[in-house]
This record gives sequence, C-alpha cells and structure tokens, in this order.
Amino acid sequence: MSLEELFKEIIIEHYQHPKNHGHMEHPDAKSEGSNPLCGDELQMELCFDGDHIKDVMFTGNGCSISQSAASLMTEAIKGKTLEETRGIMDEYKKMLQGNSYDPDILGDLEALSDVRKYPARVKCASLSAAVLDQALQQKK
Amino acid sequence: MDIERIRKDFPVLSRIVRDKPLVYLDNAATTQKPAVVIDAIANLYRQYNSNVHRGVYLLAEETTQAYEDSREALRRFINAESTQEIVFTRNATEAINLIAYTWAEATIKAGDEIIVSIMEHHSNYVPWFRLAHKKGAAVKIIPSKTDGTFDMDAYKSMLSKKTKLVGIAHMSNVYGTINPVKEITSLAHKAGAAVVVDGAQSAPHIKIDVEDLDCDFFVLSGHKMLGPTGIGALYARKAYLESMEPFLSGGEMILRVTLDNVVYNELPYKFEAGTPNYEGAIGLKAAIEYLESLGRDNIEAYERELTAYGLEQMQKVPGIIIYGPTDPSKKGGIIAFNMEGIHSHDIGTILDNEGIAIRAGHHCAQPLMIDCGVSAMARASFYFYNTKQEIDILVRALKKTKELFGHVA
Ligand SMILES: Cc1ncc(COP(=O)(O)O)c(C=O)c1O
Repeated sequence: MSLEELFKEIIIEHYQHPKNHGHMEHPDAKSEGSNPLCGDELQMELCFDGDHIKDVMFTGNGCSISQSAASLMTEAIKGKTLEETRGIMDEYKKMLQGNSYDPDILGDLEALSDVRKYPARVKCASLSAAVLDQALQQKK
Repeated sequence: MDIERIRKDFPVLSRIVRDKPLVYLDNAATTQKPAVVIDAIANLYRQYNSNVHRGVYLLAEETTQAYEDSREALRRFINAESTQEIVFTRNATEAINLIAYTWAEATIKAGDEIIVSIMEHHSNYVPWFRLAHKKGAAVKIIPSKTDGTFDMDAYKSMLSKKTKLVGIAHMSNVYGTINPVKEITSLAHKAGAAVVVDGAQSAPHIKIDVEDLDCDFFVLSGHKMLGPTGIGALYARKAYLESMEPFLSGGEMILRVTLDNVVYNELPYKFEAGTPNYEGAIGLKAAIEYLESLGRDNIEAYERELTAYGLEQMQKVPGIIIYGPTDPSKKGGIIAFNMEGIHSHDIGTILDNEGIAIRAGHHCAQPLMIDCGVSAMARASFYFYNTKQEIDILVRALKKTKELFGHVA
C-alpha cells in the first residue's frame, strides 16, 4: 500500500493548518475525548441556531489523522442541520468500519477512507465523531 | 559475533511484512524468540509434561527438575547466592506488586517516604503511589539531569531517616540511561532504606550481579530477554523473604494444612501459590542458556556499537529531537525521539509501511513524558540480532517521513 493513500495531501494540509481551530465565546455545547493509549486529545464547541449548527470549533493534540479528521469534520458540519449532521456522521462511521457509504454525503471527509486499512489508526479517526456525538447530545 | 548466523536462530526475523523484510526495533517492549526457546516449550508438551512438585511418577520428576533447573539458571544469570532467593512471577510488574503488597505493606507507615526516579516505568511507580496514598506516606521523585542521566545530588538531598524504600530502574525504557544502581543502593542503605531495582530493561542486555549491586530486590521479565511471555522473577534477599507474609495463597505455598492451622512452605515456594508457569520457566531457561552461549560481554559490546551508530545516524535526520543521553557509554540500545511537526503515531505508521516495527506513545512512563513536555515519543530499541543495515533502513524511512509531511508548519 502506498503511504500517499493514507497521508493524502489534504490530510496533511488540515493537520498543519487546521480549520475552525480555537474557542468560541459562548458555546451552547462542549465536549472532549481522548484515546488514552496514544494520547490523542480533542475538545469541541458548538453553537446552535434553531436546528442548525451555526458554528463549531475544536482544539486538540495528537496525530495527523485525529487532528485532520476533526478539522475536516468541522468543515463538513458547519451550517448544516442536525439531521444532516447525523447523516454525515453515520456515513463517516460506515466508512471507517469498512462498510459501503455514500461519498457525496461525506465530501472532503472521504479523504480518510484509507484509514480503515490500518486498524491501529481507526481509533484516531473515530475520535472526532465520538466527541461530536457527545456534544450533540447536549442539544435539547 | 556472527550476526547473520545468529539471525537464522530467530524464525520470525525472516518474515516479510508489508512486502518488506521485517526490521524489528521494538525490543524494549518485547524480544523475539530463538528456535531453542520455542523448541524447549514444544518439547515439554511433546515429551514429559506434568504438574510440578506433586507427582510421584517419572514425568512429574522430569517437569519438576526442568522447572527447578530454570531457577538455578536464573540464579546464576543474576549471581544470586541461593535459589531460595528466586521467586517466579508472571513478569516484572507482578514482582514489584509482590513487594508492595507484602514487605512494603507491612513496613511503610504514615509519614514515611518512598523515593523513585522520574524515569520509572509505571510498573515501578503506580504500586508505590498507591501504597503511599493508602498509608499516608509520600512519594518523592528524583529528577533527571538535562542530559537524561540520574541526578545524584538531588537524590542525596532527598534521602533521610524517613526514606524507607528507593525504587530505581536499572535501565530506563525511554532514555536508555543506565543508572548508577550500586551507588544509589549504598547511599540508601546508609539512610536505612531498602532498594528495589527494576531490571526489566537491564537484565536482557548487561551483566547482572545482584551481590555486587547489593540491592534488596531485583525484578525482571522473561519476555524481554528472549523468553516466553508470562514468566518473570523476583530476586529478594533471603532475610527479606523470610520476614515477609505470603502474597497469594492456596496450593503449592503451604507445607501443611490442618483443620485449625496453616504452615507456609519454605522459600521460595511460600511465594509461588498455585500451579506455576513451568512452561514459561522452561522456555526462560533455554533463553538464558542461549544468551550465555553468545557471551554477555559480547552482547554488551556489540549493542554499544549499534547504539553509537544509531545515535550518530539518527542525529543526521533533519528535524529530529532525541531524548536522553547521546553518549553511548551512558546508555543501552534505546533511542527515544520525535520529529518536529510530526506526531509519533504518524512516524510509527510510516515506518510500519517500510517493514519497520518501532513503538510510539507514552511508553508507560507518563511522568517522564510530562517532564519532557510531550504526550508521546517514538522509540527504536535494539537487540543483538539487529544490524547497522537495519539502522540505515530506519534512517532512510525517517527521512522519507520528513518528506511526506513536506514543509513543517
Ligand atoms: C523498565 C521497565 N520496567 C517494567 C516493565 C514492565 O514489564 P512487564 O510488563 O513485563 O511486567 C517494563 C516493560 O515495559 C519496563 O520497560
């Protein structure tokens, strides 16, 4: 397998220059998670506008997969409805589990599709979905 | 040492992984096994297996003899005075816990102090931390100097009448630093404290003489020295073992059980409750004999050469940060590093793709990670079956890693 498949340019780009990185003043929801064994850490903050995700920011520490996944995820869900967001997350999980998925729904997140060929790294890519899940549960 | 010939003794070393020849550089985590170890275990089950210390028949005699021969081999390997001082455990971690739950449990009181170094593996830190917490005692941590060596002055200033126990890694599993255990022990004894030496990393690589080190406890893990997993050992001075309560209890560890009394077995069996891992002990004996046949001085000399070469070559990789001593005379064959702007897991995955096995993460030494201000490191660790060519492959792959990540943000 070629490494360029796993470490695509877009992944390295988002790792080195993450989008939506930092904190917001008044988040409606906040959550965090980590992979204790490898030390990847992630915090997410969300701001809602009715049924929409108005804004999302993250901070974290870890490998290129965990951090680029968070950056790509925030890009994918910003401005989306909650239902659309859940749809994206479902497809994302399917992709990481090696099931068939809809690339149109995933958009740039599909860059992480080869992670599933490295079982040890699936955890890294899953972290952002787990942290986002938690944050969404705080929305009443 | 004819390394090419030695490599043929290790079946797994000829494996192809991810279309490349395996370059196994995670020996500090566990070592590969020579055919003699694999065969010793297979022979046990093919030819004479039975439970030990129980049967009156020939097979039981043979298995018991093989188990006890292993104890003698280990005694010789670390130069203990008596096999009564060698207790088989599952691994180094269990051996340390044995000390914590028996001798230390009975000895440490509120207000006492336990001293450990910042370089300790969690297994020589967490049991002491727990015990101190339970007893109202304190754990004091000896820092390391900026070059990654032991800070003797800081240690001296910490020792006092309150010190009951000093826990020290003979060789750090991150920095590779070889700590001056003999001097540490002699100072501890003057203060009236006992010393636990964690030999998990040293025993596989350097000559061990517990009499010369003058330590009270020494622990090791078989799987890090060519042996099978699930077997380790505790060495303790006889006087300590005699005074200690048993750790686990049940069969094997008793001499006599009546309706109202239990008499514990003699040393070392008092500390070996239940059917022991004789399979592991028999494999470990084959490992010890293999190491002795190569000559431990030869192993040490060759590994020093490899370490010097590794340090020299790895330092040439742009953007690399090496942790711990860079003077090969102060350390064993363990090189922990990071690369600027690249997480150690990414390094690990990229190297894996080249057939190279290294470790990435906190190495069960989070206090040391905190001290270095990082959450993770990559680590290459060598054994005598590694070669300079393999180090070249590693260095080439590290340069490739750097290229793949392009400019560093
Ligand atoms: C210095 C040191 N101590 C203790 C241990 C624990 O060994 P085990 O897991 O075999 O008990 C290790 C293993 O990683 C080690 O490197």
